[in-house]
Amino acid sequence: MSESKGIGEGGKTLKQMMEEKERLYRETGCYAGITEPYLLREDPVKGELFHSRIMASLIAGRETTRMISGSPFVREVAELCLGLYTAEGDNIAQSTGIQIHIKLMGDNIKWMINKNYEEEVGIRDGDFFISNDPVISGMHAADVYDMLPIFWEDELVGWVSTVIMEMDTGAVSPGLMPIPNVERGTDGVKFCCERIGSNDRLNRDFEHKIEICLDMSDIYLLDRKGAIAANIRVREEIKRIINEFGIDYYKRATKELIEEERRNQIARIRQRTIPGRYRSVVPAEFPMAKQPVSWLPAKRDTIRLIPIQMDILAPGRIVIDFEGVGEWGWHAFNGTPQAVWGGVSITTVQTLAYDGRGNLGSLLPIEVKEPPVDSLLNPRQIKKLATSTPWAPLLDVFGMWMHLLGIAYYLRGFREETFNYRSSAGWQMAGYDQMGTKRPLMAAGTGNFGPGACGVCDGVDCGGWLATPEVDLGSVEVWELFVPQMEMCRRLDPYSVGYGRFRSGLAIPQVVMIHRSQQLVGSGIIGTASDGIIPNLGQFGGYPGGRRNTMLLRYDNLPELMEKRQPLLYELGHPADLKNRFPGQVFDMGLLAVPTEIYEGDLLVSASASGGGLGDPIERDPALITADMDNGLTTEWQVSNIYCVRTSYDEEAKQWKVDEAATRKLRQAKRKERLARGVPVKQWWEKFRQRLMDRALDPLLLEMYQSSMKMSQAFTREFREFWALPNDFTL
Amino acid sequence: MSYSKDDLRDLFDGKLPWDKVKEIMSKPKDDDRFEKYVEILQERVPWPERILLPLGEHLYVVQKGEERVVKCDCGHEFGDWRQNWKLSALIFARDDTEKLEEVYPGLKCPAPNLCEVREFYCPGCGSLLKVESVPVGYPIIFDALPDIDAFYREWLGRPLPEEKEFKDMTHEVTREWGRDLYQADE
Repeated sequence: MSESKGIGEGGKTLKQMMEEKERLYRETGCYAGITEPYLLREDPVKGELFHSRIMASLIAGRETTRMISGSPFVREVAELCLGLYTAEGDNIAQSTGIQIHIKLMGDNIKWMINKNYEEEVGIRDGDFFISNDPVISGMHAADVYDMLPIFWEDELVGWVSTVIMEMDTGAVSPGLMPIPNVERGTDGVKFCCERIGSNDRLNRDFEHKIEICLDMSDIYLLDRKGAIAANIRVREEIKRIINEFGIDYYKRATKELIEEERRNQIARIRQRTIPGRYRSVVPAEFPMAKQPVSWLPAKRDTIRLIPIQMDILAPGRIVIDFEGVGEWGWHAFNGTPQAVWGGVSITTVQTLAYDGRGNLGSLLPIEVKEPPVDSLLNPRQIKKLATSTPWAPLLDVFGMWMHLLGIAYYLRGFREETFNYRSSAGWQMAGYDQMGTKRPLMAAGTGNFGPGACGVCDGVDCGGWLATPEVDLGSVEVWELFVPQMEMCRRLDPYSVGYGRFRSGLAIPQVVMIHRSQQLVGSGIIGTASDGIIPNLGQFGGYPGGRRNTMLLRYDNLPELMEKRQPLLYELGHPADLKNRFPGQVFDMGLLAVPTEIYEGDLLVSASASGGGLGDPIERDPALITADMDNGLTTEWQVSNIYCVRTSYDEEAKQWKVDEAATRKLRQAKRKERLARGVPVKQWWEKFRQRLMDRALDPLLLEMYQSSMKMSQAFTREFREFWALPNDFTL
Repeated sequence: MSYSKDDLRDLFDGKLPWDKVKEIMSKPKDDDRFEKYVEILQERVPWPERILLPLGEHLYVVQKGEERVVKCDCGHEFGDWRQNWKLSALIFARDDTEKLEEVYPGLKCPAPNLCEVREFYCPGCGSLLKVESVPVGYPIIFDALPDIDAFYREWLGRPLPEEKEFKDMTHEVTREWGRDLYQADE
């Protein structure tokens, strides 16, 4: 009986190749058993040329997509990325762009291999596969992966994959990453690694389906065509590279690129960090009680702890552990073990492997301990749950992990690599655009916020978006064409800051006025699960940025203000008196704005807050403070109360100046005040311990601790040990 | 790849021009950074103990006789580096709206029923060493417990004379505090 011939190397199936490669890694500790990357070392110039050609093809492919796509997310924000993969689905190289997907794209390919697509579905030259199901791989359902196999003669030698964040996947209103959806079906159209084209042509039945299912089918289909064009362009360039370098060189050198990067990553970890244990916690808030959910058990507010421990081990490996994470819930914010890897990718690429050589090898020295089954990061019921927004708590987790890495860099002396991130929340909409078409509507402003301070300078204003090192929210004018709104504010918000000797970057609050929509519903969109509990991102005496805000502002009499040419709101000002200053109603919508009807002239506000400052704020150089004052980046209230600096305005020079003697006194007084206010920790501990014994905590927190205790004996033991509680103590 | 101590001093103090900072960020890292880093810090502190590892803007793990203790640049000591130094600091817990609004006014204020912002001060000089924002009741976080012996032995190739066991000893402190409480109850 003759066995069917596989499409992999030497007639093997892809599954056989994958198993063999994994066996070799286990046996040798080197990727694909490459103990000696001789090809790249014997002729490094050739190797460099080889890698540059691959990178150039991926970056050119990305630009191709941008030219074809009609979506501002692609054209303006460039929320896309391309990757080249081995036959087994391992990342060789990644274009510029949203680096979070290095491993996630490959996991889709591996899923197809494991599901025996080769025999049961068929993988042929010119086939298009598509996927956007986080149950298989991905950060959220809006990220759509287009995959194309690369054949050389009759052998599958690799894959190229493009990921694009879509503006509409047909989810329940408001339709992009809807908050009220908790069940899978409400996520909209999902593809589970499905073939949507063959012989380099998109299937017409796929196009018909999209045209019927999506409000923004034109955008969605143009994105597919952009992705397919990019994939084909890369495939053809890879064939030219194979022609030029030879197929044997290609197969060996691509594997060596991964192994070399694995070794380089270990070397970087050993060069730039300190071995040891690093810890923090991310509390994730899910206020769902007021949301109009269809599955009623979902109507409850919960908070879940996500403790993070990073162990840097002497061999140059990093282990990440979420021991103590609380339980999953009926909401769209549950993570998956695969999605956690998205954060590992982006974090390592931004702070360790930023030389353009990042690939699977960057991740091999890192181990993520599988979160407990049925925890928030690993729910068994994931197939029943909505997955529009697993990234909400995960972005907070990744920002915190960057913070922990930043501590390790700082201790080693590489202070310039120390920083952190947080994410944000705000508004999305559904309704009629200014052309009269009903569709989901969202702009990119919620991605705008300031990263934490660097260890040697202030954070970059408006320069923080965790998912990509290239932060660009696009042109306001283009967004105004796309969404029935007018941007009212382009000013950095001084109160978005995290204070410190070096301050965080500042954010620009998004303030949009709704204009020319006949009917509109606003609703929350979130990239964070932090609301009432601000993230623990203060560094070495710096403060974390404060609370972020989603608000609806409704003028009492807008036509009259406009008639009289009175100024409209263009900055938020001091956060304590906005409600008094604004001539109308101010609705604080909390973290997850419930669906609300929006009218002409309403202002939707998404005010982001920033990461952490670094160092004691009263040690900030007064010259930096006056420079900030001159540029409108800080206020007299902050200068006097937080930085303890006495300043005055020099009318002649038109700039602020420092009274150094008065500043010295203010700062000395602040130190004395601290010594008088501060109490020994033991005293505070005894008092709080009694409070715990009395269970005198907010019910949300009691349930949160109960949830973590239920999930983890280790967490329970440590909690009891820290508070010296009886061995049978429960909350 | 190596930078002068003057450049590194300016880098840490935020005095280096941005183009030079950018260059240092982008280029391959300098292998002798740690040695120069510690030399610069050692020159700045008024006390003689050898700095083994910086632990923050003001804190260091230093060799004191046979012990390794956490020490502030003002001279205040916090005890063994394997016990969370925060437990030997002064704490000011911002646990109500009034205290939180001193830093986070109005809309920026966290929820006092859920969030506690803890400030840890050096009892010697009043420096703000760490701000910790956590859910009310969360144990004080031991941010960084460096494995100093593994670092010197396996990464720097010059082991320290008397190696110490790498373990978290914080619970010994709280156990002792708990014992005091139980005795008081009796």
